Amino acid sequence: MTGPDNQVLLRISNLQKNFGGLKVTNDVSLDMRAGIVTTLVGPNGAGKTTLFNLITGHLVPTGGDILWNGKSIVGQPHWKIARQGIARTFQDLRLFDQMTVLENVLSVMEPVSWLWQPGGRAGRRAREEKATHILERTRLIDKAHIRAIDLSYAERKFLSMARIMATDARMWLLDEPASGLDRGSYELFLELLRSEVRNGVTVCIIEHNLDIVVGISDRIAFLDQGRLLADGDPQTVLKDPHLAAIYFGEQAA
Amino acid sequence: MLAYIINLVTLISINAVLAITLNFIMGYAGIFSMAHAVFFGVGAYTAAYFALNVSASFFLAVPVAMLAAAVLSLVLALPALRVRGEYFVAASLGLQVLGVTIFSEWKGFTGGLGGLIGIPPVEFFGYGLSSNTQYMVLALACLLLVVLVTTVLLRSSFGRNLKAIRDSESAAHAFGKNVATIKTLSVAISAALTAVAGALYAFYLGFINVESFMLDTSVLLMAMVIIGGTGTLLGPIVGAMLLMLLPSLFSYMWFLPATEIGSIQQIAYGAAMILLMIYRPGGLVGASKKQVAK
Repeated sequence: MTGPDNQVLLRISNLQKNFGGLKVTNDVSLDMRAGIVTTLVGPNGAGKTTLFNLITGHLVPTGGDILWNGKSIVGQPHWKIARQGIARTFQDLRLFDQMTVLENVLSVMEPVSWLWQPGGRAGRRAREEKATHILERTRLIDKAHIRAIDLSYAERKFLSMARIMATDARMWLLDEPASGLDRGSYELFLELLRSEVRNGVTVCIIEHNLDIVVGISDRIAFLDQGRLLADGDPQTVLKDPHLAAIYFGEQAA
Repeated sequence: MLAYIINLVTLISINAVLAITLNFIMGYAGIFSMAHAVFFGVGAYTAAYFALNVSASFFLAVPVAMLAAAVLSLVLALPALRVRGEYFVAASLGLQVLGVTIFSEWKGFTGGLGGLIGIPPVEFFGYGLSSNTQYMVLALACLLLVVLVTTVLLRSSFGRNLKAIRDSESAAHAFGKNVATIKTLSVAISAALTAVAGALYAFYLGFINVESFMLDTSVLLMAMVIIGGTGTLLGPIVGAMLLMLLPSLFSYMWFLPATEIGSIQQIAYGAAMILLMIYRPGGLVGASKKQVAK
């Protein structure tokens, strides 16, 4: 499953993003290969979320290129990039708060802007079935008709997962999806993620929890101050004393 | 007395249509337009002009008015796509002022400050409506139709698209929703349905001038939506009824000095808005404060 032979889905080359004089992303090059779980680690402000925002088109890079299946996606509007199969979650979740849990999931499967979706009644039924199935897997089925804003913290995290599961995206960018989860929820989260990866989803995840990092990553990319300091298998990267000093030094401070 | 009630029901229905269409963009797409009266005006003037010069047929004049308003709504959609929140409120305010100027200056089309007079009664297959009762039935039928159309739309995937944008525009983008198209479409639908109310209004009164389409109308409509309950199906109707009935209610209060009723009414509106925002920010039909704050 892992290895350098897997097809490169997403290629980030010499990516640069400046906010005024501040280089928030500084010459970052990364390949995301199909089926590989990459974890971005690094202290706060390292530019991890910025990297997600650049990939999804929420931010436009100052320099460098991002190739999706070999074609540049830089400069495209973010909804277009999303439709090509790159989905993300947000650290602050950004659920559709006033909509019900079921509506949150259904709406993700309805990207067509027009007054109705293609596929007619059969298509709608298929979407409803898929949504129900996803809500069962994320254990939200009993809350299907409750507004997202009325869910508990962990339930909101799982709704965020349910939404991304509803997309047909081949690449997932997850921004701290498991932070603050209790043990049981966290096991469920890992189980969901593993099964999606087995089904062919390529995942890039931002995570601080080292148990999760070690538990699911095939590879770790270490960012600090906008630079990619290391990129390799988890054991090697985490054992690097220099990186540990940056990471834990910052955390202890 | 009966004639009075019939008149009131007709005007309430027309205003309810306006409030529902404003709520469509305000409560569901998060577009706070202060220019709703402009589309009301565009519908009214277009239908009136068409009736005076081409045909007074309902099935011709109303679609033409709807089309004109929908096309002109792109003028509103443009700033709506670029700026959001309070900036858009300011931009739509500009559009409202612009609209009033055009209504009062474009004499060839709107009749200037004097307005358009002698608008023929609306015709159904050559039969012209003559009594106010018939207009009341027509207005109620249009209200019902607009309620149906908006309800069906809001329960569909299009409604979910709108609500998704309102709740989190960036998440909507991230899930592949073309926010610009969805917003433009919602504004066009809202404007087209608003024009139905405009056409009805022009046909019912038989004359129109700019005074019905000024900023205070836009503010009143916004008050109807907010007092009734933004983002609810029944709210705008309740709001329209309340704000239309309030003046007549005051005129029945014999103890109030007749000359001061106007200002007392304004004070009541203002106080009601403030109290509602404090104790029931979701509106009369909307969720109570506790649920909203949660």
